[in-house]
Formats: sequence, structure tokens, C-alpha cells
Amino acid sequence: MAEMPLVVVAEDDEDIRALIVHRMGKEGYEVLEAGDGEEALRLALECHPALAILDVMMPKRDGLEVTRELRRSEVGSRTPVILLSARTLESDVALGFEAGADDYLRKPFSPVELGARVHALLGRR
Amino acid sequence: VAGLALGAIVLAAASVLVLLWTAVSHLRFAAAERNRRLLEVRLRPAALALIDEDVLPVFASRAEAEVFADLLGRYSRQLQGDARARIARFFERSGAVGLVVAALGDRRPWTRAEAAFSLGDMGSPAAVEPLLESLRDRDVDVRAAAARSLGRLGAPEAVEPLLELLSTRSLPRAVVGRALLEIGPAAIPSLLRLVDCEDPLERAAAIQLVGLLGDAGDAPPLIGRLQDGDAAVRVQAAAALGRLGAADAERAVRRALGDPSEQVRAAAAETLGVIGSHADVDALVTIARGDAFAPAQAAARSVVRLDGRHATVPADGQHLAEAVDLAALT
Repeated sequence: MAEMPLVVVAEDDEDIRALIVHRMGKEGYEVLEAGDGEEALRLALECHPALAILDVMMPKRDGLEVTRELRRSEVGSRTPVILLSARTLESDVALGFEAGADDYLRKPFSPVELGARVHALLGRR
Repeated sequence: VAGLALGAIVLAAASVLVLLWTAVSHLRFAAAERNRRLLEVRLRPAALALIDEDVLPVFASRAEAEVFADLLGRYSRQLQGDARARIARFFERSGAVGLVVAALGDRRPWTRAEAAFSLGDMGSPAAVEPLLESLRDRDVDVRAAAARSLGRLGAPEAVEPLLELLSTRSLPRAVVGRALLEIGPAAIPSLLRLVDCEDPLERAAAIQLVGLLGDAGDAPPLIGRLQDGDAAVRVQAAAALGRLGAADAERAVRRALGDPSEQVRAAAAETLGVIGSHADVDALVTIARGDAFAPAQAAARSVVRLDGRHATVPADGQHLAEAVDLAALT
């Protein structure tokens, strides 16, 4: 059996984290969970995931900082990142892409759409 | 003396009783909260199954049903599309929507407000009509909760009633604005009609919302507002033109760099960083070198955005140097 791609899901809201983990599991991904930005960065650097889904507003380090840090590192520079955020202004989205994100999903969001975006990013690479 | 002693003893006993009562209440509250969280963890898979595939749960108790409804309400705030529609269907089929709509007629304002709030999380379109009625409630908290829920439901029917509440000051601007933002671009035609209304507060609010909801095609009526008699309106117009990416407004916004209001000059300088060109750099550098703090700082940021060469001109002053450093960090 083919190995399941590993996805890091970082979200401080337990409800939403559980929902994303559930959805990714259904889509056939193995998932590592983080409740804050520091944990997310550690997992992303140590475990070499195929993709990271990061909430923008998280304790300790926000999703933008984690993305920038990943882009600066050798290990994480090519890890696809999807930012998920309730910050929905165009300027917020632009900041996300400037930080190095590959995609930006606004909350409220559709779990099916998130799954499709993950699939599209991983399928393309 | 004996009386005083007796008083002290009674007071001490009463204090001990109050402390004991507080401690017991605290423990009971903590236990109830712990049980609720445990129930939530146990019920979460059932909530996820419903959100995913419309699988209806069976509850062993009323407490379970309440915790489940609370959990789904929280999910509803964060979701859209089919997932949210399934949550709405659950609340409709379980009869909860009907019960909560009935509570909108309760004599206690708090109960009405709570009902109005819950209907937004349930996500059922069947709640739109009753919530529109609740916008006319005599209690401001009920009106605010109804406005918030109509926004959550994305009900375009609510746009005109919400703007009416804005003009009569029957709801805070922030509440109306938030609801209109959630309703989205359907609110734009009504907002554009308010852009040159009599009340400057309404004009400013309408322009701000057009800036947040619209696109460059909505910009022409806002360009004229850069000449408005009210500085707050001019600030919102300058900022909104940037958010809309209104490139056609470049010259008008450049003229606003000479506005007597510091805030207008700051907003115009910021906007030129988005819609401007090299033609604006000299004017922005002048502002960055010698204007008050806010416009100078905004102008410096825009200069760096428009012309990276200023990264090599240290003589342009403190604000430009800071903007260059900041740009290098991000």
C-alpha cells in the first residue's frame, strides 16, 4: 500500500482542528496536529510533511511567522502552505501570500473546498 | 461589649457561610463545566459525521442534545457551503428552529436576544422573516442580535432595514456594518445611494463599507467624496479608493495629499502606495520628509512600495529609513 502523505494541521480552536483532521483523514492523509505556532513550526521542520495547513491567528507564533520561518529554512522552504484565517480583507490575503503561502482560505470555509485545495496543491507537485 | 462581641460572632459566622457557599458554587460550576467538556469530546465525532454526511445522531439525554446543539452552533459560525446547510437541516428537522423562533416573542428581552443570536448560528433560511421582525424589537440588544444573525444568514432582504436602523441611530454603526459585511456585495447598490446623503456619519460609514465590499467599478461616486466638507468622509473616501484598487482615482488622490486634514493626507498617501505610480513619488517624498507623523509615515511606506530605489537614499529622513528597514524584514 502506498504511504499516506503527511499533513501538519495547526489551529488553536479545538473544534476546527478536529474538523480539519477528520477531513484530511477522510481524504487519505496522515495528520500531525499542533495547537500553536511554535509546535507547528517544530513539526513542519522535524517531520517533513507534504503540506501544512496553518491558522493565521495562533498563540506563540502566528501562521504568517511560521510560514516566513519555513520559507527561510532549507527543510521547509518547499513545503506547500495553506493559510486559514478569519482575516478576510484583500490586504490580509496579500500579506499571507507575501509571507510565502501557496494558498489562503478565508473563514468561514467549506471543508470540501479545503480538501480540494490540498489535493490540488499536492497533485501539482 | 457583649452586644459588640455577639455582632462580631454573627458577622464571622455569616462570612464563613458566604465563603463556604462560594466555594461550593465554584466546585459545582467547575464540575458542570468539566462534564460539559467531556460530553463535547464524546459528541464531536457525531457532529463531524453530521457535518460530513448528514448522519443523524441519537441522544441519550437532554443534556447531550443541548451540548450537541451548542457544538453545532459553534461549527456553523466557522463553516459555509454544504457543511453549513447540513447543520441548518439538522436544526430544522429537530424542531429547534421553530422553538427558538417562538422564543423571539418572549416577554423577557434577554430571552429574545438569546433566541435571535442562536438563529444566526442555526443557519436556517426559515429564520430570516422572524429576524427581520426582530429588527423592530423595542430592546436594542434584541435588534443587535437579530442584525448579527441576518448577517450570518447572508440575507439581502435585511440590507434596507439595517440601513434604516443606521440612519435612525437605532443600532450602533459597528453592528450594522458587520452585518452588511457578512451579507456581502448584495449591499453595495443601497450603500452607493448613501454615499452622498445628508448625514456625514452615514456617508462615512457607507463609503467605508463600499471600500470593503466593492471593486474598482464602484469607485466613481467615491472620487467626488474626496472634496466632501467633512474630513471623516474624505478620510474614508481616500482609504476606500485604495482598497478598491481604483487606479482611475490616482490624480484625485494625489491632490488629496494637499488636504488640510492630517488624517486625509495620511489616508491618501497610503492609498497612493496601492494605486499610484512613479508620477506620485516626488509628492510622497515631500510628505515623508516634512509632514506630521501619520502622513509622513504613510507616505514613506508608499514611496518604498512604488520605488525601491529610495532604499539607497539615507538622506530622505527617519520615516523613509524606517519604511526601508520594515520592507526588508517582510
